[in-house]
Amino acid sequence: MHVQTYAPMFMLFVAATAIATLFFTLATVLGPSKPSAEKSLPFECGSDSDGAQHVRLSVKFYLTAILFVVFDIESVFVYPWAIQFRSLGWMGLASMMGFLLVILVGLVYAWKKGALEWET
Amino acid sequence: MPNYILYAIPKILIMVGFLFNVGGILTWVDRRQSAMIQDRVGPNRAVIKIGKFELRLWGLLHPAADGVKFFFKEDFMPPKADKLLFSLAPILAMIPVLCLVAVIPFGDTVCPDALIQTVGNVTQLPNIARSGLCTFDPRTGLQPIDLQIVSLDIGLLFVFAMAGQGIVSAAISGWSSDNKFSLMGALRASSQMVSYEVTLGLSVVGALMIYGTLRLGDMVRWQSEHAWGIFVQPVAFFIFFAALVAESKRIPFDLPEAESELVSGYFTEYSGMKFGMFYFAEYMEIVTSSMLVVTVFLGGWGLPFVHRDGITIAFGEGMLAQLPLPHLVVTVFGVLAFFIKTLTLCWIQTFVRWSLPRFRYDQLMGLCWKVLLPVSLANIFVTGVVWLLLDMAPPFVGNMLQLVGDATQGFVAVLVTFLVGSAVFGLFRSRTKDPRIIGASAELVRSAGKSPQSPMQA
Amino acid sequence: MTIGQVYFYLCAAVALFGALAAVCAKSPVRAALGLLMMVLAVAGLYLSLDAQFLAAIQLIVYAGAIVVLFVFVLMLLGHTPLVGVGDGSPAARILGATGFGAVALAAMILSARNAEPTNFPAALPAGFGSVGEIGRLMFTQTLVPFELSSALLMVAVVGAVAVSKGEKPVIVAAASVLAPPGAAPKPGESQ
Repeated sequence: MHVQTYAPMFMLFVAATAIATLFFTLATVLGPSKPSAEKSLPFECGSDSDGAQHVRLSVKFYLTAILFVVFDIESVFVYPWAIQFRSLGWMGLASMMGFLLVILVGLVYAWKKGALEWET
Repeated sequence: MPNYILYAIPKILIMVGFLFNVGGILTWVDRRQSAMIQDRVGPNRAVIKIGKFELRLWGLLHPAADGVKFFFKEDFMPPKADKLLFSLAPILAMIPVLCLVAVIPFGDTVCPDALIQTVGNVTQLPNIARSGLCTFDPRTGLQPIDLQIVSLDIGLLFVFAMAGQGIVSAAISGWSSDNKFSLMGALRASSQMVSYEVTLGLSVVGALMIYGTLRLGDMVRWQSEHAWGIFVQPVAFFIFFAALVAESKRIPFDLPEAESELVSGYFTEYSGMKFGMFYFAEYMEIVTSSMLVVTVFLGGWGLPFVHRDGITIAFGEGMLAQLPLPHLVVTVFGVLAFFIKTLTLCWIQTFVRWSLPRFRYDQLMGLCWKVLLPVSLANIFVTGVVWLLLDMAPPFVGNMLQLVGDATQGFVAVLVTFLVGSAVFGLFRSRTKDPRIIGASAELVRSAGKSPQSPMQA
Repeated sequence: MTIGQVYFYLCAAVALFGALAAVCAKSPVRAALGLLMMVLAVAGLYLSLDAQFLAAIQLIVYAGAIVVLFVFVLMLLGHTPLVGVGDGSPAARILGATGFGAVALAAMILSARNAEPTNFPAALPAGFGSVGEIGRLMFTQTLVPFELSSALLMVAVVGAVAVSKGEKPVIVAAASVLAPPGAAPKPGESQ
């Protein structure tokens, strides 16, 4: 454990948390609180809330999240390769392209199946 | 107190202070900029009155007035909201932005021994060698100081890791607000942020392959020795910049908080300083993203032809001019260069906001997954092939590339001189004052030979 | 106690608290936040082991992607109360928790007693835990598993698409057979 390396980083973390908490606490303490029935309604620019309180949301958001997880993991594999790319040479490039190609197949499949279409 | 803690305090103060001040001023710049573009007067009400003397500062007092107002406004929480999550969200929005600056270098490594030396009665500012480490003087016991809060081997990945934490905050603020528009805004925000995070991460890989490091300080060093990242990886630069603007959810990517559709997105139900924290975090995000682009693509603290030993104007082997400068002067130049570049990029981001219309949601997601992502993957492939071919090429190709790299440095120097020159010239140009003409569009009307006294101009 | 030990116990305590919160919280989003807390604390532990890259991955993949995926799904579900959770008598719950805890504790003690004492090198090899070294190892010694992992990721995409979209053409076809022409609902309109 290199205290010397990490101590400044944790000092910044502590400072950031302290600042954010201070802002929050001041906002809670200084501001008045006068709740009323009107205020506690969901804010919709003054017009009355219409329809169901909980809307159903498109399952496409879920697909986006899955695609994100997959590509996030992929990019995590890419970084170490990018750093060592010159010493790994053509073999390294070929293996990385093979890796990317297989995942691209997944992306193309999702594309063809219309998972990337948001028009509907 | 150990030295490393002593050195860290001013560095943290500089970075956090810069974030807060520039973040605050940016709220003003954004409004003032929009006023200028739309021929309005803009914020000018905040005033400090001392007798007859009124201090307005072109509305610069507005950020301070806003801050005070935010603190004293009612702190409202919807009765059906999840109290813990609702309170946690603004805090979680602010912390990662502040932590993100930990790895961003704002200057070259300082050799404290070589800043000011006193030999006998003579105080002098010594020079240091162009490359190599500091000469460590055991008498003073001062170690070289990195002008960044922490130098991590993972560098850029730390930035991505911190940036990723902001998504959770947007999601839980919308979820806990008990408002369907907040929920929709949160869902839009988080799916936009995750999509563009992928592009952000993959676009920069091309640049990483060339720099061969994740340490942001080493990236800047590579750029000052060769050429700025924007010239080496132009495609990566544009994708990276677009993705960063999308990450900070600004126009043209502001769908999560599109006023005409979703009230105000995931922080609709927040009031007072809790809303202020989201708002302020967003402006600080502009600053941090500008810092990131400056470091990775725009040479960081580097200036064209300025090295650790002074100014050396050289194209390849041909030396044109050389001016040795003291270490202190070079360091100050570097720090100033970094912050000025950051401010310029912040201003460009506010400018972009008032120049482009909002995307449609399908365009937004399509742009990310169907255009930017495949292009950044192709960029990785092309960079890989070209770079490996260059490694196999005979030495004269390398010499030529060095020449081209130096030429880009020269290009930047000339361009910056021209832009600064024309800005200064424009500021001091005498203008015909016509009280009726408010701005650019009126001048346009007049140049077309029509009267500027349209009803709009009255 | 040294600073290192204080740091370890702090991270360990936060991780345990987060894990407990993830299990005990009634609200699913709070449970996800507990998981996030646990993930952050474990990343802190990796940092103390000089594994910076692993810590960064922990934050990027687990905190930034997996937890976000959970929260995403919870947002899609809306505020639907959990059904069937927390049912059953308190005695059964206590018995279950105690039994599970005892088994886990026994497994931990047994494996700790039988573990070979590891010979840690006195000094870490140069570049230990650095991104470059991991890249070199990954592309020289573990190339095959690396390539195979891409198939795993692809299958994840295909599976997700199949789960959420796979049946749609069939439904559309059935609807157009049953309904008179022109009245066939477009996919996505059923909401």
